Amino acid sequence: MSPLALRQQRIQVAGQRQLALGRSRQRLMIGVLLFVALLAVVALRLLDLSMLQGAKPAGQRDLFAALVPPRADIVDRHGAELARTFDAYSIAVRPRDIVGDKRELAERIAAALPGMTYEKALATLNHPGKYRYLQRRVLPTDAKRINAIGEPGILLEREPERLYPNLGLASHILGYTDIDGKGAAGVERAFEERLSRDDMRGKPLVLSVDSRIQQAMEHELAVAMEKFSAVGAAGIVLDVRTGEVLAMTSLPELNPNDAGKGSVEARFNRTTLGVYELGSTFKPFTVAMAMDAGTVRSMGQMYECPRGLRVGRFTITDTHPFGRRCSVAEIMQESSNIGTAQIARELGGARQKAFLEKMGFLEPVSIELKERGRTLSPGANWGEIATMTVGYGHGIAVTPLHLATGYAALFNGGVWRPATILKVGKDQPLAPGRRVFTEQTSYKMRALMRLVVTEGTGRKADAPGYRVGGKTGTAEKVVNGRYKRNAVINTFAGVFPMDDPRYVVVAMLDEPQPLKETYGFRTAGWNVAPVVSKVITRIGPVLGVVPDEQREPNMAEVLPYIEPKAKP
Amino acid sequence: MTPLGRNDRTLLGRWFWTIDRVLLLMVLMLIGIGLVAVAAASPAASHRYSGGSVQLGDLHYFKRQVFWVLAGLPVMLGVSMLTVTWARRLAIAGTLGFLVALAAVPVLGAEANGAMRWISLGGFQFQPSEFLKPLFIVFTAWLLATRYDDHSIPALQLSFGFLVVIAALLMKQPDLGQTVLFAGVWLAQAFLAGMGIGTLVGALCLAIAGLGMAYLFVPHVTSRIDRFLTGGGDTYQIDRALDCFKSGGLFGAGPGEGQMKFSLPEPHTDYIFSVIGEEFGAIACFGVAALFLAIVVRVLLQLLEEDDPFVFLASAGLVTQFGAQAMINIMVNLSLLPSKGMTLPFISHGGSSFLALSMGMGLLLALTRRNRFLKASPYVQRWRAA
Repeated sequence: MSPLALRQQRIQVAGQRQLALGRSRQRLMIGVLLFVALLAVVALRLLDLSMLQGAKPAGQRDLFAALVPPRADIVDRHGAELARTFDAYSIAVRPRDIVGDKRELAERIAAALPGMTYEKALATLNHPGKYRYLQRRVLPTDAKRINAIGEPGILLEREPERLYPNLGLASHILGYTDIDGKGAAGVERAFEERLSRDDMRGKPLVLSVDSRIQQAMEHELAVAMEKFSAVGAAGIVLDVRTGEVLAMTSLPELNPNDAGKGSVEARFNRTTLGVYELGSTFKPFTVAMAMDAGTVRSMGQMYECPRGLRVGRFTITDTHPFGRRCSVAEIMQESSNIGTAQIARELGGARQKAFLEKMGFLEPVSIELKERGRTLSPGANWGEIATMTVGYGHGIAVTPLHLATGYAALFNGGVWRPATILKVGKDQPLAPGRRVFTEQTSYKMRALMRLVVTEGTGRKADAPGYRVGGKTGTAEKVVNGRYKRNAVINTFAGVFPMDDPRYVVVAMLDEPQPLKETYGFRTAGWNVAPVVSKVITRIGPVLGVVPDEQREPNMAEVLPYIEPKAKP
Repeated sequence: MTPLGRNDRTLLGRWFWTIDRVLLLMVLMLIGIGLVAVAAASPAASHRYSGGSVQLGDLHYFKRQVFWVLAGLPVMLGVSMLTVTWARRLAIAGTLGFLVALAAVPVLGAEANGAMRWISLGGFQFQPSEFLKPLFIVFTAWLLATRYDDHSIPALQLSFGFLVVIAALLMKQPDLGQTVLFAGVWLAQAFLAGMGIGTLVGALCLAIAGLGMAYLFVPHVTSRIDRFLTGGGDTYQIDRALDCFKSGGLFGAGPGEGQMKFSLPEPHTDYIFSVIGEEFGAIACFGVAALFLAIVVRVLLQLLEEDDPFVFLASAGLVTQFGAQAMINIMVNLSLLPSKGMTLPFISHGGSSFLALSMGMGLLLALTRRNRFLKASPYVQRWRAA
């Protein structure tokens, strides 16, 4: 029987009420379908949320995220770890949740944590607040001991912590982070964005530094600093061809793991922020400028060198006075201020200034770090006297890194390049350079600088077989605009191997004291030159420079122009 | 005579043989699931509401839920023993009583979360609207049932009048969610009772207009709907709920393993479905939703065999309210509807609302009692024959 017929029949039989009820039942089925449809929607949405949107499975994603540090590691040029971030422990207390006896607990905490006292622990445990840090940056072994106490009111939490595993090594390059984990100094500050950016922090930042060389430099400087009771020291090793900083250190030492505890003096970066009158180490620049300018045509060119040279109100003196005519080679060999001042006077202030400008000596040093000091120069008063004093490194104050980049330009064939703290390679192209000196001048300077070490003031800088060349510099220290009596800044700027220059080594001692074994001298040749010798002896093999007693630069350029010393 | 045997003619015996035991079993399952869910949500809720001098134990809300279940079950079973006549009388008296209580809320009420919904009676807080809901549904059914025999009474208009009064009182609190639920169930009942299609469309238009007015003139409604539609503004609550489902996946994090639940607002009441989602997974969530649907479908299909218009309308209304409230809560949890402040029946922790639900379910059980061997529906007969 068809539904319609059935319904007709029902109407006749059951009447009004049955008709209405029938319609109600029909409508009821609509309701059932509505509910079923709603459940289908709910089911689809549940699938959507749990499978599709949750499909980047939470656990797996977290695993990958856990492998990416919150801040990029910093490594040296060979991948050795210099800075990394790990999850440190911090120990907190919920005073109200403490179950055990607080006095006993405080005793056990004080025993477990170094640097924690019973009183301090008890005070924290009795604190009225809900939550209190007991100690942050806790070592895992100490955290384990605290955990072993088994007190539910003590919480062990993890928080990211910047670790410098080599303690003070390269601390002034690396810098440090503040309490929020943001870079506050050094590379940490200069590369803040690179280190913390989401797409970059998985990849370590590769520095140009070589930890082995850095370590050698730091060690030798620290030894010398202590031996000569100096207040500070600085040292740089620079690749003359690329401008890469292989080592750069400033003493006193700073531990970046606890930078806040370091003194102002320790946090100060002497290599890039400190500016000093670097004295005689400047003289080779003057000679090279004069050769390029054509005022010095030969190492044998002669200058009158009296015991004192009066210029206006000043008298320029020498520590090793000649009292005769002498050659350019001799002037450099014995570091004569009088001779160099005359070479500078011939060169002239304008040309001198132009050269210094090209070498970047009149502006903060070129490197990625933010700690860069303003240099001092005669400025508007660049008259004849200023030209002469600048010629031998006085009246101009630059950073040790300026000096290193200047020497690099002087000995790499004459091309100046900015120093860089990043490893030059695939990701970091070689910075474009600019020519400052001619190749010929650069070549001729090799023999001259080697002469200083073989025959002159820098003899103690020699490292057998490594063909060290360089220049000493002893400058009276300027404190508050005045020369401080009996306080000197001693510098040695060395280059090796001199027959094919590869590396600049600059070492500086701040206020070294005279010793009996230096015969009461405090000049650079006695205290800082030996540092360079020792450093080069240590780093030469690391850098792959083969010691060879037979090789020398072409000394025929200079030897004819010096008076043979009377052998005692 | 064996107790509860076929020949047991005592009150209990007759109850046992006439009650819809499938429905009762499903409701008891729901209450059981609710206990587990509240146990899961309890630590999160306790953490959220602890602070200052109030320190709640992790299982504080679970213990309370056990108490409410122990209080609610006798209410449900007791009410389910009423005869249809007594159920109707209870509904009529109750409707009038709670209507007065509802009207008294602005005077005697306590404020919570920016709305006045609660009345405190002898240290006991209850929402009159919660109790009014099932009672009003039965009351409406009683009015509308007259349409089946006698068209001279303006039953539809009369019941609509009551609805308007209740809606006005609810919007004063303001409580849009309950208003929508009251109006929706009334509309369903009127539709079942044979309201003309034209009138239905008109009523729907009126409802939409009413919602529009609420949206325009009630600030918190405006902001909630804006947030839902644009996804802008503060979507913290709903985002946390969705996080729960995402982290739970299909199989859940495991009982007590949930982490997201601790950032949920109201994990033990409005957002308990999210807690289930995180700890027991999407499949369990589907199971819970399906159980609600099964209850609704069970009752509605049984009603196909019902000949009494009053029982038909009252039961359909009660189960619609039950199912609609569950679906709305679930869809809010899944961000398919703007947040409403509606609990998941029998699963959410809740004092007076649990009692009200027990009473409503008791009424439904009472009304659906009948001889299981009598068939009325031609549809069912036809299906059986086919």
